Amino acid sequence: MTGTDLKQEETRRVESRRVSFGLGLGVKLLFLAAVNALAVFGLPRMIEEKAWLFAAFTVVATLSLDWIYLSSKGATLPLKYLIPGTILLLVFQVWPVLSTAYIAFTNYGTGNVFTFDQALDKILEDSTFPQDDDPRLDAKPLAIVDGELIGEIALYLVDEAGVEFLGTADGLEELAVEDVVLDGDRVVGVGDYEVLGLAQVSDLQEEYSSLEIPAGENKLIKLTRGVSGASLVSPTLEYDSDTGTLTDLTTGVVYEQVEGTFTAPSGEEIAPGWRAIIGFDNFTKVLTNESIRGPFVRVFIWTFVFAIGSVFFTFIVGLGLAITLNQPEMKGQRVYRSLLIIPYALPSFLSALIWAGLLNQEFGVINEFLNLDIPWLRDQWMAKVSVLLVNTWLGFPYMFLISTGALQAIPDNLKEAAAIDGATSRQAFRQVTLPLLLVSLAPLLIASFAFNFNNFNTIFLLNKGGPPIAGAQTPAGHTDILISYTYRLAFESGRGADFGLAAGIGILIFMIVATISAISFKRTAVFEEINQ
Amino acid sequence: MTTADEAIARPAAIPEAHAAKRNRRPFGRWFRDLGWRHLVGILAIAFAVFPVIWVISASVNPSGSLVGQTIWPDNPTLDNFRELLDQEFVPADAIASAGEIKVPYTSWFRNTMIIAGAAAIGQTFLSALAAYAFSRMRFKGRRVGLLALLLVQMFPQLLAFTAIFVLMTDMKDVFPAIGLGTHAGLILVYLGGALGVNTWLMKGFFDTIPKDLDEAAKVDGASANQIYFQVILPLAAPILAVIGLLSFIFTINDFVVAAAVLGQGEESNFTLAIGLFRFLDAGFEKNWGAFAAGALMTGIPVIILFQLLQRYIVSGLTQGGVKG
Repeated sequence: MTGTDLKQEETRRVESRRVSFGLGLGVKLLFLAAVNALAVFGLPRMIEEKAWLFAAFTVVATLSLDWIYLSSKGATLPLKYLIPGTILLLVFQVWPVLSTAYIAFTNYGTGNVFTFDQALDKILEDSTFPQDDDPRLDAKPLAIVDGELIGEIALYLVDEAGVEFLGTADGLEELAVEDVVLDGDRVVGVGDYEVLGLAQVSDLQEEYSSLEIPAGENKLIKLTRGVSGASLVSPTLEYDSDTGTLTDLTTGVVYEQVEGTFTAPSGEEIAPGWRAIIGFDNFTKVLTNESIRGPFVRVFIWTFVFAIGSVFFTFIVGLGLAITLNQPEMKGQRVYRSLLIIPYALPSFLSALIWAGLLNQEFGVINEFLNLDIPWLRDQWMAKVSVLLVNTWLGFPYMFLISTGALQAIPDNLKEAAAIDGATSRQAFRQVTLPLLLVSLAPLLIASFAFNFNNFNTIFLLNKGGPPIAGAQTPAGHTDILISYTYRLAFESGRGADFGLAAGIGILIFMIVATISAISFKRTAVFEEINQ
Repeated sequence: MTTADEAIARPAAIPEAHAAKRNRRPFGRWFRDLGWRHLVGILAIAFAVFPVIWVISASVNPSGSLVGQTIWPDNPTLDNFRELLDQEFVPADAIASAGEIKVPYTSWFRNTMIIAGAAAIGQTFLSALAAYAFSRMRFKGRRVGLLALLLVQMFPQLLAFTAIFVLMTDMKDVFPAIGLGTHAGLILVYLGGALGVNTWLMKGFFDTIPKDLDEAAKVDGASANQIYFQVILPLAAPILAVIGLLSFIFTINDFVVAAAVLGQGEESNFTLAIGLFRFLDAGFEKNWGAFAAGALMTGIPVIILFQLLQRYIVSGLTQGGVKG
């Protein structure tokens, strides 16, 4: 390079840096603007929903993002790289894990999905539901109209005696003849209010149907038949915020809050309930309720059998193939390898579904091909065999690949040394190769166990955990493992979702998996790497 | 198949007696040394590929159902594919196939590609950012941060699907655009899992890139950002590709989290995993052919991708496994 070349090079580099700096700054400012706009948009709603934790987190996260990216201090430099992932990690992984622990102590599920405030609103709303014997009134929708704008809404009401009223959210006002504006004998307005046409009303359905006009003595008027009819209804329930109880105004029965439901002394409950903390109930339920405990224990044991069996069979098949095919003078190794990894390369959800079709008892290819009538997926024992068979099919290529890798990594001179010492090739394998192989593969086998422990796809997509265990109170099947059982509790149960119980079992799986990982980390000495 | 067939057939094909005599022994030894290995290999391949062959056969079978399949169907047809891809197409035998109900396969495919693509790119990018900080910078809290990530790894997101469902239900009230039932929300959930899964793996790789390179760039006046984008990332391209591909495949395969977020919404919003499962669950007999076609259109590209990047994927998997 000549001097001028160097100079040009230098100029080019400076320019390119300036350009990339400008672009970086632009992206940064756009990103910050978007984050701040989102926060400003979301905060009022969070406060409205009383999601204080959410709101506090949003404020802290937004301010730290602003500070970190706008500050020019060196101290924030590492944070610039860490913070985006960390915020997402906190919201979508750490928080769900922690709140799983919380949900496990609640009754959250069908019948108890609302917060307390939402549930109370709904109960009070339901208690004003018009009854057949409530007095009826004819109605017309009114509003103060100013050009295109529609202001305050009201109702023009006529009771059964023919008395006319103006009903607003503030109350009822009896009308004199001169208040009513007539066009022929059609009412077109009341005072400043105009009667709205159907087109105008259609945008305001919500407002009209939620309009409640106080009519004295615990009574109120609500629209009941579109916008043309209303009823004088009497709420049957009253909430006392001091004692936190509901009182039935007709019978005088007092409902108290018991584990997320308003309950009368007689045990009668008012739906809906709300999410409430119920202590260890979800856990004791698993231990004491026979129709939950029985299936749960089966699922628990099968989870271990399935995970261990999967590791065992995939490893045996994979290692066997690796030993067989790992022969330097053998031709076509690449072809073997490419074809053998197909089960592993095919997305596993597809594999499970494909096998479900192949193993179908009436029409499946396997029964047809072998001319048999084996209930592969319907008999509890055959289903267990099938699940392990399919999982072996899915997993052996992985074991084949890692075993081949590990075999090739064992230095040849070790085997030669064994041969010189007079070991037969079998002895050399059992006493030199295999121990070395197991040492290097142990962490992967543990990881494989942990993976299969939660191998939802094989279990659920192949056979939905079935066949069902007879007499189980919760949805449980003979091939269900803990994770698929949890999923069915939450989303697939005919009796409605039981998120509380699902989360409780989730906690149990967390503890088992965390123990396995801790063992695995310890073995791989991963901690030493931290100090590097 | 040919290698073994020929190998076994070879001695018999030689007519002269003395030739057979000359060859028998070598063949015997060949079989003892290598031949049986090919035999085992071929049996293993048969086990590995026969489900895929049946699916290919079912996808071109005109009956479109699970009933009466043969390996070579009479009158092979592409109707099953057309049924999925062409919304106007009415199969000749409308009762035996999916019937009147149209399968929004193309929507599922598009949804899956968008969600898995965005998740893969985002996860790779986020974890590369964090890995760069952990690998190249020394700061207060670094040790704690790394340990915390290790701890987070022990609690997979998958197991918290109940809480994710609850979180997204509440999220819907505050940010409807990323709440329950939205693709953006699901992508964010996947991005939340990025640091826990990939940072350690990526940091390990970044540690192997010589620090002299950054020092040299620093002397030349490069900022931390420039070192990251112009020195580290280009050198790390292979590992980034592998992690990206693995996240992509992992996301395509995810059923639990996707079903928690999208499962109760519109059918056309599903991913392939949820959509194809429910489609097949609705009737094996009548939907099998169309399912097979759909499975091939999704599976074959992934298999090809896997084959092309085989070597890298295997090394990525092995390391990933070691790190938990």
